[in-house]
Amino acid sequence: MRDLEEKISAWREQMLAAGIQSPVPLDELEVHLRDEIERQREAGLDGQNAFEISVRGIGRPQNLKNEFKKIERNIMKKTAIIVLAILAVLFGPGMILPALAKHRNMGVWNFDIVWPIVVGSIITVAGISATVFGFKKRKA
Amino acid sequence: MIRKELVAASAEPLILSLLAKGESYGYAIIQEVKERSGGKMNWTDGMLYPVLHRMERRGLIRSRWGESETGRKRKYYSLKKDGKAAMEKHHEHWTLVHSVLSGLKKEHYA
Repeated sequence: MRDLEEKISAWREQMLAAGIQSPVPLDELEVHLRDEIERQREAGLDGQNAFEISVRGIGRPQNLKNEFKKIERNIMKKTAIIVLAILAVLFGPGMILPALAKHRNMGVWNFDIVWPIVVGSIITVAGISATVFGFKKRKA
Repeated sequence: MIRKELVAASAEPLILSLLAKGESYGYAIIQEVKERSGGKMNWTDGMLYPVLHRMERRGLIRSRWGESETGRKRKYYSLKKDGKAAMEKHHEHWTLVHSVLSGLKKEHYA
């Protein structure tokens, strides 16, 4: 039994070295490993074989890490879209409002007033669309 | 043995359908799929967990840590409302694929 605990500790170390995070999901994987070892032993295997078969069943640490990494990458990508979109929504009106104020003071429309309004509007619309898209797709 | 692409594609609908019966945990989910498929659907056990975590992140399922009857710590998963809706969608799509295949098979042997 002590031998098995040492083996499980060594397996945890390997998982950690491959980048599997602790306590989640490593603890969950360890519970799975223990369940499988128990089942294999009940089926008549000795401790060593039960452990080896169960470890193989869990899969290679690097492959597992790659799968978990996909989730992390997805989360980061979607968060970045939302942050950029919110910044655009703030930056767009920051261009439009001073231009409109300038127009009110001067009472004319010229290039210096129109271009910040056009560019600001494009940035705002793009920002709102990206924010809505980002939140909608956050669950996907 | 069923091809791994099909096993991967069917993971989500199978997990959702199993959880529709009540909460469960990773090991039990794998065992039930193995039993129900007569051992023909073999997941690499560890690969189930990224799938479960992704589904939880998408709001389809929720999890909680609890204890088994033997006192072992376990992470239990259960279905959320969005998960039930996703499961119904999956059933609809897989039923359609099945009916198209069955129709073609009947014609082939007619």
